Amino acid sequence: MRDPSPGLGATLALLSPALLAFAGLFLYPLALTVVLSFRPEGKEAGWTVGHYVAFLGDPDGRRVILLTFGLALAATCGSVLLSVPLSLVLRDKLWGHRFFRLVLLVPLVVPGLIGALGLLLFWGPRGWFNLFLLRFVPGIDRPVPVSYTLHGLVLFYVWLYFPYTCVTTLSVLESLDRSVEEAGEVAGASRWQVLRYVVLPLIKPGVLAGSVLTFMAAFGAFSVPLIAGGDYRPLAVEIYKRISVPIPAHWSAASAIAVLMGVLQVVFLSAYMRTVRRLGRRR
Amino acid sequence: MTRAYARALWDARLLLGYTLLVSVTLLIGAPFLVIALRSVGKGWFGRLWLPPQLTLEWYRWAVEVGNVGEVLRNTLIIGLLAVLLSTTIGVFAGWAFGRRRLPGKELVMALLLLPLMIPSITYALGVARIFYALRLVDTHLGVALAHVAVCAPYTIMVLSATFEGLDERVLEAAAVCGASPLQAFFRVALPLVAPGILASMIFTFTHSYNEFTLTLLTYGPHTVTLPVRTYLAVGDGYWEITSAMAVLMVVPSLVILGVIQRRTQPERLVGGFKGA
Repeated sequence: MRDPSPGLGATLALLSPALLAFAGLFLYPLALTVVLSFRPEGKEAGWTVGHYVAFLGDPDGRRVILLTFGLALAATCGSVLLSVPLSLVLRDKLWGHRFFRLVLLVPLVVPGLIGALGLLLFWGPRGWFNLFLLRFVPGIDRPVPVSYTLHGLVLFYVWLYFPYTCVTTLSVLESLDRSVEEAGEVAGASRWQVLRYVVLPLIKPGVLAGSVLTFMAAFGAFSVPLIAGGDYRPLAVEIYKRISVPIPAHWSAASAIAVLMGVLQVVFLSAYMRTVRRLGRRR
Repeated sequence: MTRAYARALWDARLLLGYTLLVSVTLLIGAPFLVIALRSVGKGWFGRLWLPPQLTLEWYRWAVEVGNVGEVLRNTLIIGLLAVLLSTTIGVFAGWAFGRRRLPGKELVMALLLLPLMIPSITYALGVARIFYALRLVDTHLGVALAHVAVCAPYTIMVLSATFEGLDERVLEAAAVCGASPLQAFFRVALPLVAPGILASMIFTFTHSYNEFTLTLLTYGPHTVTLPVRTYLAVGDGYWEITSAMAVLMVVPSLVILGVIQRRTQPERLVGGFKGA
């Protein structure tokens, strides 16, 4: 007769492929990156903090960090501003809402690279956006630059990453108890007051929690700024340039930036989560 | 005055709502429309709204010069390998997480999901170094293994939920009827969780199909995948050919989105048989 509840050993055996993959494809590479970041360039021995000092001491390096953070934050704010009205509209199950829900998922399933290519073509100096402006908006006689500019990059980020926030916002809104709103109306509040003082405060924690996903995706964005960033290079692109442009590649310098990026992501994320939690508690 | 204004705004909410929905749809769709037009357009320069001539020339170029046939084959092989490896890992780990007692389960789970929390370029550097040393760079297996780093956490997450939703009584019934645990797993549990496994496989495949960062650091001349090919084409600056490649690449993604939407409602993802 077999033991109906096998012990810890069997559980660990089941977990071993996952743990092996985790160790071999994540933990060890990460450790290697950390070690490499403290090695002198191109050497297998010796220790130095020079790469960190060089990057953090350089005004350009600090600018890159600020750019990455600013882009992620701007994209997150933009996503929230877009997602809340959009979800409020979609909540009412208008005619065709299924189709619009599907459309929202498109930027998530399509490769970021393709999205960026299309955005560059659409918003570029000869794209439809500028053709429209030149044709229909008086006072504009030359193309408005969007592609390869900072505001353009924010726009592209929002396009690509707002679905994370929007999907969460929608699910929070739909789990909201409608009777609370009715109570507000019975108590004499106008529809806008119900929205402002009942609905928005109730969904705020959920929306902010969902926006974390957008923030994370935007902070780690690589393919989009790589082809659509122009001179604006966030951390991920900066890392890639270190190993792809110079010969021989600057692996140690790249590793140092990669470690910084990982640490910053964890720090930003925990700070963000703490802020979200505090905002959520304060009603 | 403002009250009347607010009232009017509220009364027009349906119109405003549709305006918002339609403009967002247009903004999401327009880039793809532009790509599609660009891929079949000829002589589309200057201030023209639409291409003056249509051609399939760019697709021929994409296949002949861009080698899209071989690239597609690479992408499929790598995707299938990644699905195979990740699903194997995910089935075992998901069973452990979903069906068994494990001290510190939450912690182990959080640990295994860590690769999704940290930007992949941070460990992609290390993966590339290791694969260079092991001569795994520019092999299908190597690129697929790199993809497993990000795909496996997803499969583990989805399959844990799937197995957790499996009804204990069904398995007990199998045991009562004399099935060994292995038989119960393969003959009873597996068919029941098949929709969940299928969903996770589709998900993994899409992920591998679209994966760019890890591929870029581990690919070689023999393992160029579609995203990398598109990136290289963007660098070459031929927008028409790049667009043709993009169309060839994006169509499967959209088909997969349709399939996911139709085949796997969330409730089917977790369990898939409850109440049946």
